[in-house]
Amino acid sequence: MDAILSILIFFPAIAGFVGFGIKQSSAKIYGIAIATIELLLALVLWMKFDNTNAGMQFTEQVSLISDFGISYNVGVDGISLFIVIMAALITLLGIILLRPDTKNMKNMIISLLFLEMTMVGVFLTLDAIIFYLFWELSLVPMLYIIGAWGGADRVYAAVKFFLYTFAGSLIMLVGLLSMAYLYHEANGVWSFALLDWYTLPLTENQQFWLFLSFFAGFAIKVPMFPFHTWLPWAHGQAPTIGSVILAAVLLKMGTYGFVRFSLPILPDASVTFTPFMMTLALIMVIYTAMIAFAQKDMKQVIAYSSVSHMGIIMLGVFAMNAEGLGGSVFLMLSHGIVSGALFMLVGVIYERTGTKIMDEFGGLAAVMPIYATVFGLMLMASVGLPLTIGFVGEFLVLVGFYAVSPIGTILAGTTIIIGSIYMLNLFKKSFFGPVRHEKNLALKDLDNRELSALIPLVLIVVWLGVYPKPVLGPIDNSAKYILTQMEARAISPATKEAIILSKKEAN
Amino acid sequence: MLEPVNISLESLNLVTLMPMLIAIGGGLLILCIDLVKDNIHKSFYVALTVLILLIDLIATMGLTFGVTERGFFDVMLIDGIAVLSQVIIIVASMLFIPLALTSKRFHEYSYPEFFALFMFMIAGFQFMVSSDNLILIFVGLETASLSLYTLIAMHNRSNSFEAAVKYFTMGALAAAFFTMGSAVLYGVSGSLELNQIATGISDRLNEPGIMILLLGGAGLLLTAFAFKLSLFPFHTWAPDVYEGASAPLAGYMSVVPKVAAFVVSMRIFEMFINLQIEWVQTMIIVLSVITMTIANLMALVQEDVKRMLAYSSISHAGFVMVAIALATDKSNTAVFLYYTLFMFTNLGAFAMLWVSRHKSSVHHERFDHPYEKFSGMIKVMPMGAVIMALFMLSLAGVPPFSVFWGKIYLMSATVDAGYLWLAVVMGLNSAVAAYYYLKLIVYMFLKEPTDTVQQDITYYNVSKPLMVIVGFAVLLTVFSIFMVNPLIEYISMMLENSSFGI
Repeated sequence: MDAILSILIFFPAIAGFVGFGIKQSSAKIYGIAIATIELLLALVLWMKFDNTNAGMQFTEQVSLISDFGISYNVGVDGISLFIVIMAALITLLGIILLRPDTKNMKNMIISLLFLEMTMVGVFLTLDAIIFYLFWELSLVPMLYIIGAWGGADRVYAAVKFFLYTFAGSLIMLVGLLSMAYLYHEANGVWSFALLDWYTLPLTENQQFWLFLSFFAGFAIKVPMFPFHTWLPWAHGQAPTIGSVILAAVLLKMGTYGFVRFSLPILPDASVTFTPFMMTLALIMVIYTAMIAFAQKDMKQVIAYSSVSHMGIIMLGVFAMNAEGLGGSVFLMLSHGIVSGALFMLVGVIYERTGTKIMDEFGGLAAVMPIYATVFGLMLMASVGLPLTIGFVGEFLVLVGFYAVSPIGTILAGTTIIIGSIYMLNLFKKSFFGPVRHEKNLALKDLDNRELSALIPLVLIVVWLGVYPKPVLGPIDNSAKYILTQMEARAISPATKEAIILSKKEAN
Repeated sequence: MLEPVNISLESLNLVTLMPMLIAIGGGLLILCIDLVKDNIHKSFYVALTVLILLIDLIATMGLTFGVTERGFFDVMLIDGIAVLSQVIIIVASMLFIPLALTSKRFHEYSYPEFFALFMFMIAGFQFMVSSDNLILIFVGLETASLSLYTLIAMHNRSNSFEAAVKYFTMGALAAAFFTMGSAVLYGVSGSLELNQIATGISDRLNEPGIMILLLGGAGLLLTAFAFKLSLFPFHTWAPDVYEGASAPLAGYMSVVPKVAAFVVSMRIFEMFINLQIEWVQTMIIVLSVITMTIANLMALVQEDVKRMLAYSSISHAGFVMVAIALATDKSNTAVFLYYTLFMFTNLGAFAMLWVSRHKSSVHHERFDHPYEKFSGMIKVMPMGAVIMALFMLSLAGVPPFSVFWGKIYLMSATVDAGYLWLAVVMGLNSAVAAYYYLKLIVYMFLKEPTDTVQQDITYYNVSKPLMVIVGFAVLLTVFSIFMVNPLIEYISMMLENSSFGI
């Protein structure tokens, strides 16, 4: 299976095309089957993955536009491997959780399969233009999912989501094109291949501007403060499946972009911008956590808490050491699993009651004990309770970040406190106390469909919380590899110092 | 007493005229057939036109080209871009003319004159692009334009007449500007051949006051081409004319006349730019930035899809105009790449409008193609909605669809030339543009269908040939990534064998 990465990328899309011919009534089971195959393929990739190799594996290259240096070029390393597996898993569970009576089920399944192609493609591709291609293409199915199955303001939210990201990525495109130009100036040939770009020396001034242009694309996607305003809208209006995939996978594209593009290509600028990025990330962490506390809508609480945790990921990425970077990649996974699960859980109660306002509930723990247990567990994982998946990443990031700024770490650490406040507040209001509405007494607990979507996530939360090594090992390897590369390429001594310093601690 | 002039047939090099003669001969043939037999079905004429164009295409591609290939008293200049642009023009014509084969009858296609005029128009464009003599360019331009005005008017509705007259008036004004500009250049250099003009100007470049003359010459010519390319502030005719013309013709107008005008602009303005007359470059950049921005903003508020597409074509023209200002090999390649790729998508988009065109106003009392017409189309006609959405995404520059590749190539050329800010402006403009393309997608995918959105109403005009054309456009739009490399290679080869801008 030499072409396993291409199969992983294009299988869902081809299946999506074939899906046009499937009857409406069998659409869901078709989706489940395809997503299962995709997940199995991703797991096969993991089995064949060489844990000792920190570089790119399973690489494939096909030249597409040779005069302009664009080629189809894919590869996987420890960082992308697990994000791809997570994307496949979340897509599968999301499809399982779809209500059988969803209108236009076939269109939903087809869009999800196309979305899966673009998600897997973004994380596996090693060519800047093909990356951009999947990056932009991912907006289209999401636009449709939010716009067609969302809430009352769905069209506004969908268009806002699309345009915001589109505008940012066009600025990023200018950066990519300048990068290719600089490469052409230096080597006389055009290339958009990331592995080529990693070898290109750039002056600090060039790095500065390139960093800003990449920042425009990635920061909007993450979304970093102050570009986060599209996200609450998107989450507020999106259907459950939309929110799940948006929070679990699409936001990771932004942080992944920083890890794959900004850090290794622009090491000096990354260090120069570290204070700026950290300030933004800290504001994002604390400010959105406070907003989360002020929300009445359960889904908005989770949406803002998800942004807040994305801030911690950003802190880790720019900590410039192995703990920080590795921890933030791990946190991307755990954030995907946990926030995906939380959005699923909100979707479950919304389907039953038609509301997401916390004050409407109360006492659900007695009515729906299993639901309350799963919710409680995910909530703890989100807050970062030890022995859950959330703890590992968050802890590593904070450890890594401590080497850079102890005060910042204390500030970032408050998010755990604020996080527990708003999360426990949510839990208290919804699950304890008296049942506020009579009709809520008759609510059914989780049924088989919902359980089969949620149990795997529960198991992963506990498993990786207790024993993260199988995942953390390869991530750590690749993170160290990226840092070594950065250090080797850095031109200013200050940069080298910023990176080496933390590497010593890593050993 | 004048001496009798002896000219050998050899020196005329008549083969350079071959492609135009084929087109003109084809037009005359159609007229003759009409004399002999009445009431021939339009499918005959369409087939004949396509076949003649095929011969024309082969003849064009068979032309030897190089820097020195001249003919007909040296006014013809067959170089790489002449051949290349003729190929684009003929291919575009071959793709647009089968759109006449609708299932419903339309007035203009019952006249064979329509097809004859169409051929004459093509010949005009061919003359325009294969000469560097300002008079022949002018003759070609006017032949083509006059035929085009008539073709628009033949659609036989009051707003078609309005459109034709509007276009004609504007075109006449542009023609006046063109002649005055040429006169000034003649005054400066004593020649009407662009290569001699260039030498003439460069000889006198240090004279005091010459810049004022050149400002007059270049300014007037730029105005003329701003009319033709619908650049700000001379773009106001475009939406009305597009709306009045039939959809295939509007789509045709958004590609072919512009390619021809871009080729001539390349020859004229890149000459100025290569003479280091910097304000020409500045002027063109300013014009193009304003054009794309204004057109994008105007497109946002349109209620009619065809008017929106008209503004979108204006904005695309402004976008490509940047390439003329850059005047590098890469930017010139980008012009042709962009328009070739844009052609397929725009062909598809206008063909989809044509499919849904009604004779009476069933959707809206003012507009033929209001957004509501496509409301909720995904529920009723999923295939049609997906196809239209593909074209819109392509126009918006979403990868991997065709226009995206033209866009990044052009933006890359801009970056290479050191105009980073301009590339960012182009990027942001594409983001603004995405909104109005998205608006149609929102209507099609996210709204509920109205009463009039039904298979037989929306696909009112559909026929097999139209479906073939649309399918062809879809294929080329989606799989354009595989055509880009051969196209770039072909275009660069042609450009290397061109002589323009000295």
